[in-house]
Amino acid sequence: MWRELFTSLPFIIIVSLATALLLYWYGGRISPKGEKTPGKLSQYACGEELPAEKLQVNVERFFIYAVYFMVFDILAFMLATSLGSPGFVPALYATITLLAVILLLPILRIRMG
Amino acid sequence: MAWEVALYNLFSVLIYPGVVFLVALALIYQWVDRRFFAKLQNRYGPNYTGPIGILQPLADLMKLLAKEDIEPSAVDKHLFRAVPILILTLPLAALFMVPITESSALVSFEGDLIFIIFIMTLVAILAFLGGWGSTNMFSTLGGMRAALQTLGYEVPMAVSFIGPAILAGSLSISKIVEWQASQGFWTILLNPLGFGIVIVAFLAELERIPFDIPEAETEIVAGWQTEFSGRKLALIRLAFDLELVLASGLAAALFLGGPTGPIPSIPGVVWFIIKTLVIVLIIAYLRALFARFRIDQMVSGSWRYLVPLSILQIVILELLLGWR
Repeated sequence: MWRELFTSLPFIIIVSLATALLLYWYGGRISPKGEKTPGKLSQYACGEELPAEKLQVNVERFFIYAVYFMVFDILAFMLATSLGSPGFVPALYATITLLAVILLLPILRIRMG
Repeated sequence: MAWEVALYNLFSVLIYPGVVFLVALALIYQWVDRRFFAKLQNRYGPNYTGPIGILQPLADLMKLLAKEDIEPSAVDKHLFRAVPILILTLPLAALFMVPITESSALVSFEGDLIFIIFIMTLVAILAFLGGWGSTNMFSTLGGMRAALQTLGYEVPMAVSFIGPAILAGSLSISKIVEWQASQGFWTILLNPLGFGIVIVAFLAELERIPFDIPEAETEIVAGWQTEFSGRKLALIRLAFDLELVLASGLAAALFLGGPTGPIPSIPGVVWFIIKTLVIVLIIAYLRALFARFRIDQMVSGSWRYLVPLSILQIVILELLLGWR
C-alpha cells in the first residue's frame, strides 16, 4: 500500500505544494521586513498617480456559452467515455448539469432581460 | 522488501528524479538558454558566478528570495499570495508524469496527457488571475494578454499532442514512449508538422519571444508580473524555468522517443538530457531570431495557420495509418 502511495498523483501534488510553501517560507525568513511607506504601498505606475481598481468584467453575458460548453463538451465527453461502466459518477455529473440548467438559467434570464 | 521499495519510491519522488533533480535541471537549463541566447547576440551571458557562470540562475533565485517582499495596499491579498505558490506547484507536479530516467514515468495513468494539457491551461489562468488581482493597470493588461494568448496556442498544441497518441494507441505519455521504444522509430518521422507546431505553441506557452506579449518589457513594464517582488517573484521565475523543462521533456517524450536510445548501455537520463537540450537550444535560437508579435497578430495567425496545419497533420496521419 505504501509503495503505491508514494507514486500516486495526490501525493506528488502534495509534495509539489510543500516544496512551493517551503521556498515561500524560507524566503520569508531570510528577507528583511522593511517599513511601509505610502510610496511603497502604492502600485507601480512609472511615477504617475493611477487609481487602483480591479477590472470589472461582466461575465454574465458569457454564462450561456459556459452552459453550452458544459452540456455539449463536458457532459457528452463524460457520458461517451463512461459507456462501459455506467453508475454513480456519470449520474453525478448529469445531475449537477441538470441542476445548473434548471436553477441558474431562469435567474440569468430575469437578471438580463 | 516492501519497505525498501516504498523508501526507493520516496527517494525517487523527493531527490532523483524528483524535486531536487528537477529544480537543479530547471536552473541549469536556464543557464544554457541564457548562454546560447547571448552567444547568438554576440555577447557572453552569465560568466562570473561559478566556473562558467553555471551558478548564476541559483544566485538569482537566492537573491530574489532574500529581497523584501512588498505587497501594495490595494491588491487582493489572497490571490496575490496564492498565485506564486500555485504557479510553482503546477509544473512541478506535471513533471512527475514525464518519463525522465526510464520509459515509464514516476506517475502514469491512462489519460495523463490530457491532465498535462489541463495543468498548462491552469498556469495560463493563474497568470491572468495574478495580473487581475494586482489591481495595477499594467498588470491587468498583461494578464488579459496572457489569457488571450492561451486562446491562440491551446488548440493547435492539444491537437498536435493527439498525433503521437493516435500512433501509439494510448493517451498515456509513458505508453507512448514505450511504443516508440518497441517499434524502433520516433513519432517525429510520421509527425514532423506536429513537432513544428508543438515547438511554436511551446514558445507561446513559455511566454518567450516572439510571443512574450504578456510580459512585454518595453511596453507594459513587466506585464502581469509587475507587482510581484522578492520571494513571490522568485517562485514565479522558478516556475517558468520548470515549465521550460516540462515543455522540452514533453516534446522529447512525445516526438523524440523520450529517455530511450539506440545504444542500450547508456542510462535513460543521458538520452533525456541530450534530447531536451536540443529542444532548449531550438527554443533559444527561435527567441533570438524574431521580434515580438502583437497580440491580435498572434491569435489570428494561430487560428489562421496553426490550427489548419495541425488538423492537416492529423488527416495525413490517419490516411497513412489507414493505408498501411
